[in-house]
Amino acid sequence: MDPIKTEIVVVGAGPGGYAAAFYAADLGKKVILIERDKRLGGVCLNRGCIPSKALLYATHQITAAREAAHRGVTFAAPTLDLSKMRAWKESILTKLSGGIAQLAKMRNVTVIQGRAYFEGSQSLRVEDEQGQQFINYEQAIVAVGSVPTIPKVFDLGNPRVMTSTEALEIEDVPENLLVIGGGYIGMEMGTVYAALGSKVTVIEALDNILAGADPDLARPVVTAAKKAFKEIRLKAKVLKMATVGKQIKVESEHDGKKVEELYDRVLVSVGRAANSADLGLENTGVKLDEKGFIKVNDKLQTDDPHIYAIGDIAGGILLAHKAHKEARIAVEVIHGESSVNKDIVIPAVVFTDPELAWCGITEAEAKQRGVKHEVVKFPWAASGRALSFDRTDGVTKMIIDPDSERVLGVGICGAGAGELIAEAVLAIEMGATAEDIALTVHPHPTLSETMMECAEVFYGHATHTMAKKRA
Amino acid sequence: MDLKLPKLGEGADSGVVVNILVNEGDTITKDQAIIELENEKAVAAIPATANGVVAKIHVKVGDKISVGHRLITLSGGAGDSPATAAAAPVAKPAAKPAARPAPEPEAETEELPEPAVEETAESGAAPVASPSLRRWARELGINLGKIRGSGPGGRIETGDVRKYIARLQAAATKLQTAPATAAAPAKPAAEQIDFSKWGPILKKPVSTLRGVIARRMWENWNTIPHVTQFDDADFTKLNELRKKYAPAYEAKGSKLTLTPLVLKAVAATLKKHPSFNASLDETANEIVLKEYIHLGIAVDTEQGLIVPVLRDVDKKSVLELAKELESVAQKARDRKVSADDLKGGSFTISNQGAIGGAHFTPIVNKPEVAILGLGRGAMKPVVRDGKVEVRMMTPLGLSYDHRVIDGGGAARFIVDLVAALQDFSEEVVKL
Repeated sequence: MDPIKTEIVVVGAGPGGYAAAFYAADLGKKVILIERDKRLGGVCLNRGCIPSKALLYATHQITAAREAAHRGVTFAAPTLDLSKMRAWKESILTKLSGGIAQLAKMRNVTVIQGRAYFEGSQSLRVEDEQGQQFINYEQAIVAVGSVPTIPKVFDLGNPRVMTSTEALEIEDVPENLLVIGGGYIGMEMGTVYAALGSKVTVIEALDNILAGADPDLARPVVTAAKKAFKEIRLKAKVLKMATVGKQIKVESEHDGKKVEELYDRVLVSVGRAANSADLGLENTGVKLDEKGFIKVNDKLQTDDPHIYAIGDIAGGILLAHKAHKEARIAVEVIHGESSVNKDIVIPAVVFTDPELAWCGITEAEAKQRGVKHEVVKFPWAASGRALSFDRTDGVTKMIIDPDSERVLGVGICGAGAGELIAEAVLAIEMGATAEDIALTVHPHPTLSETMMECAEVFYGHATHTMAKKRA
Repeated sequence: MDLKLPKLGEGADSGVVVNILVNEGDTITKDQAIIELENEKAVAAIPATANGVVAKIHVKVGDKISVGHRLITLSGGAGDSPATAAAAPVAKPAAKPAARPAPEPEAETEELPEPAVEETAESGAAPVASPSLRRWARELGINLGKIRGSGPGGRIETGDVRKYIARLQAAATKLQTAPATAAAPAKPAAEQIDFSKWGPILKKPVSTLRGVIARRMWENWNTIPHVTQFDDADFTKLNELRKKYAPAYEAKGSKLTLTPLVLKAVAATLKKHPSFNASLDETANEIVLKEYIHLGIAVDTEQGLIVPVLRDVDKKSVLELAKELESVAQKARDRKVSADDLKGGSFTISNQGAIGGAHFTPIVNKPEVAILGLGRGAMKPVVRDGKVEVRMMTPLGLSYDHRVIDGGGAARFIVDLVAALQDFSEEVVKL
């Protein structure tokens, strides 16, 4: 069979891959999109962002109903129908991936289901159950993503030891759940299971959870988690795990003491690894770093002149919106534009309860890099909107350059912080000053006012809080 | 620290590097010559403005550079770092400048006069501008790090980029003017012709001096309405005077030629006709009459024509003028004429007598308004007092700016000039 010829082939149909394929098609290129899974959308849509948010929403109702009691609304204890919950979640995923397939079709993007294997710098084969086909391309964009890692000592071959992928299936509600790793995945899934009724223990090797965020921003999350979870154990380490009947025996070390405990399920959320193996990349000029991520330059070009890499596989922060941005840059570079992956503000959001979001420089980073800065905060306890829905556990924080008064970084912790951070991203991208934000009318009563008032704090005249006058 | 090309004098703000006198690794002292620069006037040695060790040379032979261009980078002073000391022996063996690897022509050489443009983002911080503006700048190839934003918090606005581009263009045009006009003196872009299809050819680049001549001639020819007035002057007596006094001048260490005598005659005539010793100030709409008589003398050199100026010709003796002429001609041929030697002329004389040829039409040397061209004097039959005599006749061509001088004035001038040459006073030549 003759090889199929195309201008662009995109390997992997996650948020990076399908965005790249669509954009290239929109720019008039002939595009083939290859996906290993039956469903398009990648980890984000099938095993990450979307299902986890669906479950967080579904289970939040349980907590919300309980908390409604002191506001004079009392519900009977909830009954859980996990299969219905799963079905609802699945329906979302089906709808979204179907939408992507539909959009691909409308753009004349050829979608091929199968495993891609590079045979050379400009040719690959796709294998599926029926057989294989060959594709000759001008440029390839590799967007094959990443998978959760399980260190060998934890891999008992026991389904009760889960990664995020399995945890999202909520086969049951374990009475005792151990979460190894206090990063955003562990904290989000811990939140889901805690709401469902599990006694959640988090073991984190570092001395704080959600490393990367400023500790003062993470504090409301920790406070809430301490209440919702059974325990958060910092500077602790899991040494050994073994199957004991229907449970897992976990030996861990904390404060120099070894403990042995039994858990019904264990979620391992200690990091993600690149999907760079079994791709035939060795037949191309592509080079990998020591962790297996593809090396790219700021135009997302690999060491092979015909191959680009975007998203998780290209390393850096593993976030869907980062993959999406890189998709657009890579396609523009292929299209002959001068785009470059530089000086781009990538926000981070943790969908715990409360949510935690930040963008630009963090306070810790500013200190470490010696960037002259001033920190201002606006507590949500001073927000009428936060009070009115009983969520004063939040703070809006800005890192400001005192000379230019430009906003260098913003961090928000509180309900809906993930939505609020977008304004901050735009502000930083636009080079806005604190004054620009303070002078912009924000609707009342909304949480967005905390952005405005936080900027006003910088000038010493926030309406709803007392701030030091600016010299 | 970086050593940059200093300001060399009025009108001499650029040139071509013809020689590099230092090597990377050399220790140099202040005022030591580091490069030789050829400009429209001469070849000048450019001195170092500081002591130090040459860490990097940023120019190569043939580079066209202008004031402010980075020449070399010096590291340290007396107690230089071991890194540069170690580098010295490496650079040393490559003694010949040509053998040295040519430094990359840097894109950053557009040294702009106004520092406002040259704001570099310190500590590698990203330039502050909206995403759409950053994209626009990328598409234009503009480095936002070089622009100082005028917006709040130093944000770069669209207008800042436009201003920066305008300035880049102005700087680029300034740099290009000389070579561009030199390459194509005829303004309507000449079509490229392959001359080799009709026979063998040799190509050579247009020199800086040739470029300047081309530009000036083109400007003068195109902006001045020229008329040339012809006549012949009887040089018989003048030549006899020259022959008579030549030994006396020889004894004073000077060779008496006809030129200093012509200079004196011209100076005397100019005194009578001030409008020939003038300039047209087009901006002020005034005619500037000069009370001094500074005469430019066209000197034919290997590289091309240059016109040094002799001052106060009317006040100087023939001997002084003879000596000055010799020295200035020598300086011109050695390309040692300073920029000031070429300025301030009020009238120009181009004497081709030593070479040959008869009448020609010289081009007025702006901002002057007239020029006298002399051909070779030849023995000719002339009717004098009803008799045919053989006299030494020198062809004269007086070109003038018809905006300033009328035909009648020109005729009167040449009549007076011929008389001054023919009836040259022996008193003036006498020592």
